[in-house]
Amino acid sequence: MFEFLVRRAFISAVTLLLISLIVFAGVRMIPGDPARVLAGTDADAAGLEEIREKYGLNAPLPLQYVRWLGLAVRGDLGESIRTRQSVAGTVATKLPITVELACLSLLVAIGIAIPAGVIAAVRRNTPWDVLASSLSLCGVSVPNFWLGIMLILLVSVRLGWLPASGFVPLTEDPVANLKRMLMPALVLGTGLAAVLMRQTRNAMIEVLSADYVRTARAKGLAQAAVVVRHALRNGLIPVVTILGLQMGALMSGAVVTEQIFVLPGFGRLIVESVFTRDYPLVQGVVLITASSYVLINLVVDVSYTVLNPRIRIRGTADAG
Amino acid sequence: MPDSTATPAYSLSIAAEASAPRSGLLARAWRVGRRRPAALVGALVVLLFVVMAVGAPWLAPSDPVRTDWSKIRKAPSWAHPFGTDDLGRDGLSRVIWGARISMQAGVFSILLAMLIGVPVGLCAGYYRGALDQLVMRLTDAWLAFPFLILAIGLVTILGPSLTNATLAIGLGATPTYIRLTRGLVLSVSQEDYVRGARALGAGDLRVMARHILPNIVSAILVQATVAVPTAIIAEAVLSFLGLGVQPPAPSWGTMLNAAQQFLEQAPWMAYWPGLAIFLLALSFNLAGDGLRDVLDPRDY
Repeated sequence: MFEFLVRRAFISAVTLLLISLIVFAGVRMIPGDPARVLAGTDADAAGLEEIREKYGLNAPLPLQYVRWLGLAVRGDLGESIRTRQSVAGTVATKLPITVELACLSLLVAIGIAIPAGVIAAVRRNTPWDVLASSLSLCGVSVPNFWLGIMLILLVSVRLGWLPASGFVPLTEDPVANLKRMLMPALVLGTGLAAVLMRQTRNAMIEVLSADYVRTARAKGLAQAAVVVRHALRNGLIPVVTILGLQMGALMSGAVVTEQIFVLPGFGRLIVESVFTRDYPLVQGVVLITASSYVLINLVVDVSYTVLNPRIRIRGTADAG
Repeated sequence: MPDSTATPAYSLSIAAEASAPRSGLLARAWRVGRRRPAALVGALVVLLFVVMAVGAPWLAPSDPVRTDWSKIRKAPSWAHPFGTDDLGRDGLSRVIWGARISMQAGVFSILLAMLIGVPVGLCAGYYRGALDQLVMRLTDAWLAFPFLILAIGLVTILGPSLTNATLAIGLGATPTYIRLTRGLVLSVSQEDYVRGARALGAGDLRVMARHILPNIVSAILVQATVAVPTAIIAEAVLSFLGLGVQPPAPSWGTMLNAAQQFLEQAPWMAYWPGLAIFLLALSFNLAGDGLRDVLDPRDY
């Protein structure tokens, strides 16, 4: 297992390095003087010189990359052209909102998908299965931002139940915060729920036909005990992997959802910074999102290697 | 489904069934269509959207970009079944023209992804070794960029337009094709008929083009039918955010962007473009499920 973990960590490190190369190359592809790109159009000669000095823009490209990477690893992602605040600091203030949104959406997605997937698998080929599968198909096909707009139209404009936009920090007023986060979480969660439900259904169908489930049934266990204790626990393993891989979709979805519900999170930040040509901010946000995707998936992989005895033992056997 | 027909070489299974390849595929399509009417309906609706996209200039009742100040935000009526927008443009005409943009973005981006992804995956899976390792690590890194973040990054560099949005969506989908193709090549390369061809002295290119590619093409096509609706939604998202098609061009995404500002006064502006995206994506997914059964009965 140790060998597997080292190998997995090594691959992640290489991936992170490649990500940084892609982002670095991307910024250099922006037409114009890189100092001008990073300092903004209204920077004066002194400002340009400062940027040139900081990133060593007169040195050869490989050296520039090493220097930039060194600064980035230490958390120095430059400063926003628009606000002149550090990129890392700006991201840190916006991140909690997006993380809260993501966590609530995950709750919504898991709360819908796992029960629906299990029911569809247990009652396979019944109307329940058809209903769950059809809903899942609709969930995959519906554009989330349209769903969000329709929800605002119904819940806020017509019924007046929930506010359509605005944000109240969780620490200030938890109830008002949740009222404003409910619709965004629902919108972001349904797309994920659709994907997860399909996976849960497939995984459960496979597990339910396994020998140990038949044994559990044969020894007279109740259906609920068989499904929950024997099948679900094993069936969920592939679902957890899919959940890790869906983090990217969740981050993309957060960008759109925050835009519709006017939540001042990470996603709104990146869209705004594109329109204001705030290149250092775009660069920082892209780098941070991609890196966190790699790290989240590393954690997912490692945690279930540790938790799952089958992989643990096989890993040790391979190593021996 | 039992494994009795589980031979991947179509030439063999067709020979065994003693029927011509064309009629075999068509007959299977007919059987699948009868068993799964939803797939058939999906395919028909997709076809309808294709007709709409191609025939937009003749089908649309009026000019999709002509503004009319006397008809601003008029509710649906006989003259304008989908109502008019904030600049007095006909909603129906804009939805019809929007099909063209959506189809363009959806199909061309996935074509681009296949054009890059399939050859690269083919080489990586066929030659393996260091090349394979390099390609796999690069796709790992590429896949780590959430699609929209990648698209935003690319549009920042290239500037917002339909072409650049299509390019960004295509590049975002490319690693999926590299991985899929590579995986398929790895399994097919072990088959006897590929080894046989190699033993008979066939060159690398010939083995790849004549023996491997025909056997994996159906799986790649099935993936494409799943990817096109995703790409269509992606274009709508980018245009909605203002990063794709620029106004006044009639894209469903830009229409929804405008609609969002008038939800109270003119909710109909938001109904139709969104419904169009939903219907097209749903139909593609339904048709794709059917196509999977037609092309790859083993997978069913």
